Amino acid sequence: MSLALDVLLALALVVLAILTVAGPGLFRAIVMFIVFGLMMALAWARLGAPDLALAEAAIGAGITGALLLGAFRALVRADPAKRRAAFRRPSRLALPVAVLATVLVAVLALALAELTPGPGTAGALARAALKDVELGNAVTGVLLLFRGYDTLLEIVVLLAAWLGAFALRGDEPPAPRTESAATVPLLDALLAAVVPLAVLVAVYLLRAGGHAAGGAFQAGAVLAAALVLLVLSGRLRPTPAPDLPQRVLLVLGVVVFGLLGLAMLIVAGQMLAMPGLWAVYLVEVAMMVSIATTLALLFAGAGGLRRAP
Amino acid sequence: MNALLTGAALFLLINLVAGLVRVLKGPTRADRMLAALLFGSTTVAVLLILAELQGMAALRDVALLFVLLAAILGVAFVGLPEAHPEDPE
Amino acid sequence: MSMSEAAAAMLLLLGCLFYLAGTVGLLRFPDVHARLHALTKADNVGLMLVCAALALLSGSLRVAALLGLIWLLGLLAATVSAHLIARHARRHPEAHR
Repeated sequence: MSLALDVLLALALVVLAILTVAGPGLFRAIVMFIVFGLMMALAWARLGAPDLALAEAAIGAGITGALLLGAFRALVRADPAKRRAAFRRPSRLALPVAVLATVLVAVLALALAELTPGPGTAGALARAALKDVELGNAVTGVLLLFRGYDTLLEIVVLLAAWLGAFALRGDEPPAPRTESAATVPLLDALLAAVVPLAVLVAVYLLRAGGHAAGGAFQAGAVLAAALVLLVLSGRLRPTPAPDLPQRVLLVLGVVVFGLLGLAMLIVAGQMLAMPGLWAVYLVEVAMMVSIATTLALLFAGAGGLRRAP
Repeated sequence: MNALLTGAALFLLINLVAGLVRVLKGPTRADRMLAALLFGSTTVAVLLILAELQGMAALRDVALLFVLLAAILGVAFVGLPEAHPEDPE
Repeated sequence: MSMSEAAAAMLLLLGCLFYLAGTVGLLRFPDVHARLHALTKADNVGLMLVCAALALLSGSLRVAALLGLIWLLGLLAATVSAHLIARHARRHPEAHR
């Protein structure tokens, strides 16, 4: 019966993917994509990867869905005819490309099935070395202890994405909201429950990242989702540029991780080495804050944010 | 007990897939959106069952994130523009 | 099968029944406002029953509290979303696609 569950999940994912990219109607495609995110979280759960399921939940439910709905709103406001633009016939190349991709995946899967891992794989080595540190979560351990350069550069990439969006945004003031959700009385109750809980859950996920599923990225995404909710409900308003505290928060992750890495180069002779568990948590906190700020500012139009008067 | 839990998860997933017909048919955007929110609740139930079934406590945290952030979609949805008179249907 | 397992099995089956009712409502009810009942009523009772069954099975107070919190948050999200969607459907009855 669990085989039936997995087969149904896999089939549903394929069908949802096709309906997302090939169906008529932009709005329908957005809803299909949201449902695809739900299914993807279930797939990660079945594959025993709760870290990825957490990231999918935080990013999918909290940010991308709202981002796509906002983009749909902006698109239709700019050009009402766009609503039917998704009726375009698919390209002639679609079928051959799909067949080619299927063959490629099948070949890779066959090759993987025949592969028997040797004794000294990178995963086994990392797992053995992680026992020396007090990190129970292999994902966090690998991210910070074995591929510190990658993790640092990922934070830089996120910052560069914000800088790019900031450079591209025009000087025009943020578009006025068409229909304010701020007049809904229930919204206050929602905010009063969700925002403090989101902060609590973010701290919990960051703490849990040391020994179980969680970590800076998931925690940052949850904090960003709370900020997105505040933007959507009109409690925070976009501004043309971030103020000084927001700029500090944007670069905090890169600065703290980079400075600690350089300091370790001087002290221990190895760049980005982690001197202990406290350093792991210090870097994780700084990264969480920067990830949350970057994602929230990107959502709000790559400018800054201020409290609504 | 495990067979029952697996069966329940499978049953809920079948419910979700059947409900996709409402997203396909619409007819209004509100119909599609409410179907997606309904699927969110079903996914949470499946995740909780899988957490028990696979002995993976972290999946309960995933379910917690989904219910915590579920309302964001609803709030994002109401900001949509008014329909245009020349709209078909 | 112990007493609490039997009770959990009953609750789980009942919860699935409510989810089925929600799906049938989603597919068969005539308009948006009727279909919202599927979202807010049937599914929340379904979630409550599933949470209760799993809390019984886990036998841990911490897990039971977490499941209770998940159910309450689910209630809140469904309430607010249903209200917002109903409002939107009433103001823009012709918002297709």
